[in-house]
Amino acid sequence: MAVCIAVIAKENYPLYIRSVPTQGELKFHYTVHTSLDVVEEKISGVGKALADQRELYLGLLYPTEDYKVYGYMTNSKVKFVIVVDSSNTSLRDNEIRSMFRKLHNSFTDVMCNPFYNPGDPIQSKAFDSIVSTMMVQAF
Amino acid sequence: MSVPDYMQCAEDHQTVLVVVQPMGIVPEDQFFRIYKRISSVSQVSIRDSQRVLFIRYRHHYPPENNEWGDFQTHRKVVGLISVTSCNTAKEWPQTSDRFHGQKEVFGSTLYDSRLLVFGLQGEVAEQQRTDVAFYPSYDDCPDVEKRVEDFVESIFIVLESKRLDRATDKSGDKLQLLCVPFEKKDFVGLDTDSRHYKKRCQGRMRKHVGDLCLQAGMLQDALVHYHMAVELLRSVNDFLWLGAALEGLCSASVIFHYPGGTSGKSGARKPGVSSAADAGKRHRPGAQEVLIDPGALTTNAISADTSTEIGRAKNCLSQEDIIEKYKEAISNYGKYKSAGVIELEACIKAVRVLAIQKRAMEASEFLQNAVYINLGQLSEEEKIQRYSVLSELYELIGFHRKSAFFKRVAAMQCVAPTIPEPGWKACYKLLLETLPGYSLSLDPKDFSKGTHRGWAAVQLRLLHELVYASRRMGNPGLSVRHLSFLLQTMLDFLSDQEKKEVTQSLENYTSKCPGGMEVISLPDGLKLPPVPFTKLPIVRSVSLLNLPASLRPHKVKGLLGQGMSSASPFIYSPITMHSRGDERSKKIGEYLHVSKMSIYSSSVDFESLPAALSLPAESGLYPVTLVGVPRTAGNITINGYHTSVFGVSSDCLLEGLVGVKSSGCMVEVVPSLPRLQLCTSLPRSAHLSSEDLSTSVSLQLFNGETQQLTITLENIGTEMLNTLELTSKTLSTKEKLFGEFLTWDLQDALSHLPLKSGQSVSIPVNISAKLDFSGQENLLHDLNDDGISVTGLPVSSPLRQVLKPRAENKPVGTDASKNEFNHVKTLEAVLTFKYSGGAGEVEGYYRELSLGVRVDVEPSVFFTRVSTLPATSTRQCHLLLDVFNSTEHELTLSAKNNQDLVLHASECQRMAIQVDKFDFDSIPVMDHDALRLATVRQQEEKRQQVQGGLINSTLDIHWTIISFTKGSCPDKTVP
Repeated sequence: MAVCIAVIAKENYPLYIRSVPTQGELKFHYTVHTSLDVVEEKISGVGKALADQRELYLGLLYPTEDYKVYGYMTNSKVKFVIVVDSSNTSLRDNEIRSMFRKLHNSFTDVMCNPFYNPGDPIQSKAFDSIVSTMMVQAF
Repeated sequence: MSVPDYMQCAEDHQTVLVVVQPMGIVPEDQFFRIYKRISSVSQVSIRDSQRVLFIRYRHHYPPENNEWGDFQTHRKVVGLISVTSCNTAKEWPQTSDRFHGQKEVFGSTLYDSRLLVFGLQGEVAEQQRTDVAFYPSYDDCPDVEKRVEDFVESIFIVLESKRLDRATDKSGDKLQLLCVPFEKKDFVGLDTDSRHYKKRCQGRMRKHVGDLCLQAGMLQDALVHYHMAVELLRSVNDFLWLGAALEGLCSASVIFHYPGGTSGKSGARKPGVSSAADAGKRHRPGAQEVLIDPGALTTNAISADTSTEIGRAKNCLSQEDIIEKYKEAISNYGKYKSAGVIELEACIKAVRVLAIQKRAMEASEFLQNAVYINLGQLSEEEKIQRYSVLSELYELIGFHRKSAFFKRVAAMQCVAPTIPEPGWKACYKLLLETLPGYSLSLDPKDFSKGTHRGWAAVQLRLLHELVYASRRMGNPGLSVRHLSFLLQTMLDFLSDQEKKEVTQSLENYTSKCPGGMEVISLPDGLKLPPVPFTKLPIVRSVSLLNLPASLRPHKVKGLLGQGMSSASPFIYSPITMHSRGDERSKKIGEYLHVSKMSIYSSSVDFESLPAALSLPAESGLYPVTLVGVPRTAGNITINGYHTSVFGVSSDCLLEGLVGVKSSGCMVEVVPSLPRLQLCTSLPRSAHLSSEDLSTSVSLQLFNGETQQLTITLENIGTEMLNTLELTSKTLSTKEKLFGEFLTWDLQDALSHLPLKSGQSVSIPVNISAKLDFSGQENLLHDLNDDGISVTGLPVSSPLRQVLKPRAENKPVGTDASKNEFNHVKTLEAVLTFKYSGGAGEVEGYYRELSLGVRVDVEPSVFFTRVSTLPATSTRQCHLLLDVFNSTEHELTLSAKNNQDLVLHASECQRMAIQVDKFDFDSIPVMDHDALRLATVRQQEEKRQQVQGGLINSTLDIHWTIISFTKGSCPDKTVP
């Protein structure tokens, strides 16, 4: 399961970031922040004609010694980043995809809330609980 | 080999390495001047050939790196240029010895060397030596470049001979086994006759020849040799050298494809001779599989004639393959722990190639790999260098965030706790360079519009580090600036606790170095713009307040020839101006102390008077009035305010404020006018009936009483007072007023004009209250139950009364028992002084000062009944008056030719006065004024007034309250 889940706005600032409390939060901030480089590179790599049919799932952004960072970008250029532990080899690509799909659905619900201003930090409890189900359970 | 050269790029493989070193004591700046001139000779076209030799100069080169020269010949120091000072011929032998000593260091690899001697003249300098050049001074050495070119050519000759020598090496049956330093002990006792060993020797030698060809400018030959080396080495699993051969192949191909170079240095290279511009397009993938003539390979030697293996351009790798081969080479290097530096450098070279190919993703993989290469124990300096280079490379491939991350790591490394002398300056400099990567600029203007952009958590961290680093490097001004910036831009992202900490440390810093509005320039040219605290406090609205009425200047209307018609009716005075802002403190979690707040104006001659305020946390809007004084006439633009918070002073411009519509306002300043201060003999009253009044007095009078009020006017301005006018206006009242309410004599005061600054004049004003209290039915009813009426009175009132006032404290309403006397009437009037003088008068302005006078009139004496009795003389009659004292005081009543009558409080007595009879008809009632009165009723009133006056003068009834001074009042009655 994920150790850090982040939602990043179109303008590349975090709307939501949550990580397992056992490790330094700032570290994940840096991890996710630098992963945006790869996201941008991946997107720019896709030709403009293909942009419409672009797959939302961006795949593995980069592996580090301890973590693997996966990316996903909605059509409105909101990015989801999931960081999983490198040691967790049981996690397949498909599972990561389904995590992103769940995250996207929940995010859509957040956006549907008439009281939510796009661009504001996400404070939805429903979203939070969805994220919780995907996070490594802190013991 | 332990020291990686992070600057290396693929085309360095074709260079020859020349070390330029100072010898003895050479001034550093002189040395580097010479060094610069030497290194300008970076490529030399060789005579009689199409080839070009590239030279790489180093002024420092670790000898242990030189030991890897066989592995990759561009690592080999082949030339040495020593620069030395030598002033006397005596020193020369010593210098010469040292030069030989220096040559020893790189002795095994040197092809040639030169010594440049500066300062020596005379006999010694005359000698012609190829390896030594003498120059009289550092400034007088015109042919250094030429010398170096000759030197390079001599190197080329050696290189070329070595290349030919090696390529045709058939001496004996055995090839020498080239090896890298750490391999040497592995080959001890190895069977040198085995086929495997021979192949290995051949492969390595091929690779070596390839290197030499590349250096000698024979790119195609090099490619062929490399291909052969790859084949040979692959077959014997000599991975390290296979890697080197592959890398050589890559380098040669890169040089072919990218004649402009990959290092990113603009114009560093001229296009290589061998490269055809369109060659890159012609090549095919898989070019390395070009047929290599197997006949060229003999078991013992390498065929000299590589031209038989014409692969030419086809031998060159495609752009795709370059990367593939680099990968393979690196993975081969990776098998040897001691080749870490080689691996790292290969990674860096590959990244540079990929950056040119704009394949950032693959480049990042190479970099990622480079990060994990373990070079063993690195010194702190090397770590810093390594992180910096990683950062630069990430920047190169457009990964700005990653680049910033590594730069920050490098910065932190500069001040690692293990370093005895932390380099805070270097740390700070590196941190500054990370700013763009975190989309952070240090200009607060970029943050003033809209929502915050960027990743607050990491930006916050960086700012904190900047603050800390700048403090540690001993520049408190910088840390104050950064901390202010942090507070201003990141306020929304700070928790209450953090806000508290930040503000506390800011106050700590500013106690030593107050923050200001000046632009801080850093030595490297970066400018830190000032940070005005527009959010601490937040200003929501700003409006200009008019002056108090007494100070407001007025334009003289109808004044001809002044040409000031354009002035609007609202003109602000040169003396004081108020601007009012509604302030709100931000959630600082504690009191926000704004130690100074004042108007910020673009005009120079404007003195603004600071105000201090303390806003409680989470306070709502809080009005603040700021005052300023302009010093000259003209227009003043008010475009902001100035605050001093936490020891940081800031000029906040209104136009930059979020939520404030106004972007400043214009104030017209008229020339200065005198200023009068008014004080009166009576106590001031808090009651102001109108805002226009500058001051007001209130007093109580009994009806009929007269009191003198002395008004003292002092000129407290700087201008001379020239004119003074006094007018009065009684505020509309329903009461009927007899006689003048306010009378004065201005003559005396006017005689004192002009009034200089500081002088004062007094104006006596008489206040007399004469009111008709007769209309108060209930009062009269109380007094006279029998409902006496005086018949034949021309007025509608049933009774006449005489009122004689004297005031003291206000009895009305203070006691319930006195309610029946609660018949106080109020008179109000405004005395207006118009005055002018000084420069303002010339321009046609004046000031008004108004004094409100409020008089509470209490009833005093009533005549409850009036009748007459015939007297002894027929020309006279007795006037019988029933007099009622409605005051609480004992009073005496006196009339003409009559004795005083003492009346106790609330007492009614009859007094008889003997008076001459007179006839109203004989009075010339209708004067001209009266005739003009429009209505009959007004005529009637006028007539009554005249009659009343006549009666008054006849009767001259006075009353005196014994405990006070005397008052007098008219009676008004009928014969």
